[in-house]
Amino acid sequence: MIHSHPTLEQLTEFASGTLPLSVSLGLSGHLEYCPDCTAQVHKLQSVGASIMEQVTVPQSSDDDMSRLLAGIANRIDRSDESSAGNATVEVAAVTDININSSTSGYRLPKVLRQFVETDYNELNWVRLSPAFKIATLLKDTDGTQVALSRVKAGGAMPHHKHSGDEMTLVLEGSFSDESGVFTPGDFIMRDSRHKHHPIVTMDGECICLMVLDGPVQFTGTFTRWLNPLMRWQHSGI
Amino acid sequence: MGKLAFFEQYREPLAGRSVKSDPLDQQLIDISAVAIHRDTAAFERLFRAFVPMIRAFNLKAYPGASLMADEVAQEVMIKVWEKAHTYRPEMAALTTWLFTLSRNARVDYLRRNGKHVSLIDPEPIWDQLEDDSADQFQKARQREFEKQVAEGLAKLPNDQRQVLSQVYLEGLTHQEVSEKFNIPLGTVKSRVRLALKSLSIVAKGSSI
Ligand SMILES: [Zn+2]
Repeated sequence: MIHSHPTLEQLTEFASGTLPLSVSLGLSGHLEYCPDCTAQVHKLQSVGASIMEQVTVPQSSDDDMSRLLAGIANRIDRSDESSAGNATVEVAAVTDININSSTSGYRLPKVLRQFVETDYNELNWVRLSPAFKIATLLKDTDGTQVALSRVKAGGAMPHHKHSGDEMTLVLEGSFSDESGVFTPGDFIMRDSRHKHHPIVTMDGECICLMVLDGPVQFTGTFTRWLNPLMRWQHSGI
Repeated sequence: MGKLAFFEQYREPLAGRSVKSDPLDQQLIDISAVAIHRDTAAFERLFRAFVPMIRAFNLKAYPGASLMADEVAQEVMIKVWEKAHTYRPEMAALTTWLFTLSRNARVDYLRRNGKHVSLIDPEPIWDQLEDDSADQFQKARQREFEKQVAEGLAKLPNDQRQVLSQVYLEGLTHQEVSEKFNIPLGTVKSRVRLALKSLSIVAKGSSI
């Protein structure tokens, strides 16, 4: 059962649109699992709406309105012509969902479909230790890395600490660390002070979405050699 | 059937329902006319009603940025045209839908031009919130809740209402509010929390 949720602060920033997109991506994934937080976001959005309604609206001239309306008139026509096409796309997407859940057995969050077309196996997984692989989804313009981590049943993720914040959303399987057991849907945010050592439970592999603010550093003698690799991963060469 | 005749037929139930015409009722009729009949006259009425508010919403966050405010407002209205059929009046007030479209358009504008440059496509991030999966009970509670919020906001202490307005209108993170107004981050968070408690968004005594 999900027990690790975003904070009220994160939900509020998500609803107001100020949370970084990379973290919003993971939070949105959490919402697919969590009706409580979804209800909370709906409420927070209606707070935003009430606040927006209270803004003093200056008088806009008819000319201004006509000019702005004329500015999109051609796009209104065009979007109308393509709307039949859109309907087909929507149907195709629905079919996709069914294929996803039936062939691979993975539950792929909708929000990740911009990176993963059908299932996790299609990604370019880089093996960093016998039990641990990583697939980079995106290196964003601000240096944030969005990646999937994949650890074999019973395997350990190497000791690591990070230079920035680290967000984890559990997608498949489960892992445990000093603070408990985490299962699909759990949303975990750790800051750079945190040094942790997650171990995957024995019943199956564990796949997590990770959003890393800064390069990850592995600590401990055995895994120190991984660091250049992780920097390489991060720099995107 | 001529276009005019169609409209007469369409308006009749409303005439019987209320004596004075409520602008919100009219907007709901216009939205469905856009959704079902691609009615451009209805769209123009919505455009003239919504655009000034969307522009004001953006100018509050970026004073003087009128080109940005224009572009965001236009993008929102294109979405209104494209997604009118997805609006569910039983799920959310029209202004809540408009708020979410405005927020998304602002995030997308900033992603493409401004301070939050990102390669992530923001649309799917909020799309799934529009899934029509909530049950009737939840929907009814959500609509009831929207009414309470509007009333509750007016009763909040100034400092709490201000911080909500900085987060939602000015588009600041809690951290940015703290820096810009020289208030400790903990104070910003506790004001937001207190405000959301008075608006019954967070249950009293809740730990989140
Ligand atoms: Zn949750």
